[in-house]
Amino acid sequence: MKLYDYELSGNCYKVRLFLSILNLSFDTQTVDFYPGQEHKSEALLRLNPLGQLPIFEDADQVLCGSDVILSHLAANYDKSGLWYSPKQRLDIDKWIRFADEITATASAARLHDTFFYDLDIATARAGAERLFRNLDEHLWFSEQRGYDWLVPTRFPTLADITCFPYVALSEEGGVSRADYPAIRRWCDRIKRIHGFIPMPGIFSTSKAA
Amino acid sequence: MASFQQFDVEYEMKVDLSQWHPIASSSDLPLRHVYQGQLWGRELAVWRADDGHINVWENRCLHRGVRLSIGLNEGSELRCLYHGWRYANRTAGCTYIPAHPADAPARTICNNTYQCVEVHGLVWSAIAPESSFEGQGVLEGLEPLVLRPIPIAAPLHLVQKLAADYPFGTLTNRDDTSLTLQYGQAKLQLFLQPVDAGKTIMRGLLTPAPVDSVAALRHHNATMTALRDEIELAATRLDPPTAINVKFAPVAKGLARMPDIDNAGPKVELRAKVARKWQVAEQVMAFRLEALSGQFPTFQPGAHIDVNLPNGMSRQYSLTNGPGETDHYTIGVKHDIASRGGSTCLHDDVQEGDVLAISAPHNNFPLRRDAVKTILIAGGIGITPLLSMAKTLKAQELPFELHIFAQSKDDLAFPNILHNLGASTISHTGLTPQATCDVIAGVLANYTPAQHVYICGPGAMLEATRELATKAAWPDEAVHFEYFKNTHEIAFNTTFEIALSRSALTLQVPAGKTILQVLRDNGIEAPSSCEQGACGTCLMTVIEGEPDHQDVYLSTTERAANQKIIACVSRSKSNRLVLDM
Repeated sequence: MKLYDYELSGNCYKVRLFLSILNLSFDTQTVDFYPGQEHKSEALLRLNPLGQLPIFEDADQVLCGSDVILSHLAANYDKSGLWYSPKQRLDIDKWIRFADEITATASAARLHDTFFYDLDIATARAGAERLFRNLDEHLWFSEQRGYDWLVPTRFPTLADITCFPYVALSEEGGVSRADYPAIRRWCDRIKRIHGFIPMPGIFSTSKAA
Repeated sequence: MASFQQFDVEYEMKVDLSQWHPIASSSDLPLRHVYQGQLWGRELAVWRADDGHINVWENRCLHRGVRLSIGLNEGSELRCLYHGWRYANRTAGCTYIPAHPADAPARTICNNTYQCVEVHGLVWSAIAPESSFEGQGVLEGLEPLVLRPIPIAAPLHLVQKLAADYPFGTLTNRDDTSLTLQYGQAKLQLFLQPVDAGKTIMRGLLTPAPVDSVAALRHHNATMTALRDEIELAATRLDPPTAINVKFAPVAKGLARMPDIDNAGPKVELRAKVARKWQVAEQVMAFRLEALSGQFPTFQPGAHIDVNLPNGMSRQYSLTNGPGETDHYTIGVKHDIASRGGSTCLHDDVQEGDVLAISAPHNNFPLRRDAVKTILIAGGIGITPLLSMAKTLKAQELPFELHIFAQSKDDLAFPNILHNLGASTISHTGLTPQATCDVIAGVLANYTPAQHVYICGPGAMLEATRELATKAAWPDEAVHFEYFKNTHEIAFNTTFEIALSRSALTLQVPAGKTILQVLRDNGIEAPSSCEQGACGTCLMTVIEGEPDHQDVYLSTTERAANQKIIACVSRSKSNRLVLDM
């Protein structure tokens, strides 16, 4: 297995995180996303014509995009069967869509602030705030019902993995999480999943009591 | 719906720092989490320790200013994410600085804290309260339903005006930051937390709590959210509010100026009530001391206090407390038959309810927290400082072994604590001196770098253990020890001169007087505690000259280096001693 990886990419981190949780070993090939724009190079466009990361090779398959890679890993390597269980699939898919919206807003704001992308920062941040209000409300009521995770089950799912990174990196795009205490608690819980790994901007937390 | 125009007036925010406001729901503070709050523009780091205590601190590590809300709540200490400085539950005093692993941080390194009270599912605080919390209209005896708080991007005055539209019965009461609405038997209290100039959090309490609480929570969440949207729309028509001018408290006067000249000896700045006195082993009594008000100062593992006794004596006792326990200090006192009166007085005369004068903790036996393995060796009542160390190591999940040597099982002090420390604790009872040495030799057998050993016990055992450590190739700096007392004969019959390099002052030390006494006679402040060369509080730096060491505090290497002196007992072999002070 080989991941075409960029350390500061939240989408690449989703894959690294899930690989770590599943305790799988893999090779990485570092891609100079910024400033080199290597993901738009001819060699990588041959692997992913969309010119995006992450790209993942498993045997002779080439998989593109974090969600495709995550569901591939869940289908083939998740012995528990809980990360993307057929019973919750529709609910998880809903959150995968939600994560796309987070990428379009919170991640866009971060691209603007830290990678100097030219985009409307006010719109990006306002969009992120709107999503975070929804997410915080959802998580607050889940906690009231005794659930720790986005999908109301006893175990985390791909929904949590895919929504987490760009939420946890939001401050790098100028979006504070001070108004979203339920999101902050959920982030702590994700950081306590066995196999959790940090990335630049996403730090570990203390052990549970 | 109210029209916007009537509020579209110039408005200057009334910042009243004396009032109490809810700043969080109880459910915002699960264990091992740090909540990020804000009140009147001041950011707060709010965390609940494992013992339930809620800490409300300024959200700023006083080292490099990083937010403590991204720090790690480790149960009894909060660790800053940046350089790992640790701050104690309750006092916010710094307990450990990883860049200085061998030193005890000064007690003055302390974060700014705010008062707080937890009532009816809400956590209340005030920036500069003029009185203690008085309930703020919260209902006595009823457990209300705490609604989901809603942050609103609008200034307080606008929220306060438009919140009156909240669709729930009739408005029966209101002030600048709260409203009460009554609907039949049900009462809804809305609290408006002034977060910042342009932000307010609306918090609600519903009494009595309805049967279907989830439905009620959903209903009020939807109502409050709709109201929020209305208020935020109105806020867009206002001029942007002027920012609240946040002033941070300057450094306390006492810290900013030179201390007064003080001729007194050991300092007894605190008053402590004996809350409990109980037997914890044969001839050993434990004393739980509680502050007459508030918290005791921060301590680090290994620290001791001076206790002033009713018979006029002053004695040093190690704290047995675990990290973050500053609501009380617990000491263990062994009745010494050969006592000069200290332990007899505590055992026989001091009773529960008595008030004693004690010093703030000194720490001359600091614990490193960067060892790959820590070995603690206690002889008898020497267990006390090592209990505090063991609790700290256990809380931080650092590898350690605690070996206790005692005459019999009945002599093992604090059995409950030992039990809780678990498998890392090994007791050895009834051994002869030779057998004790054999066991210790085994314990110290395989020295590898970055191991540290801490020893506290009777003089003879301590000397033997230090020798064994040297034989087993332990370097001096990895062997830490604390004597109960200095049993060596001390000679005071020499005469010499001390020069204080930074004060441009030269003083004569005559026979019969100590360096410490001469300094004090000349009005120079010098801290001290045991005044018999055991505790290390009066340690001074020597720039020139050869000290005549008579203490039991310095290690062999430190003695040979001639760079340090224990001023209460040691003297000079050279005619002149230059001290860095």
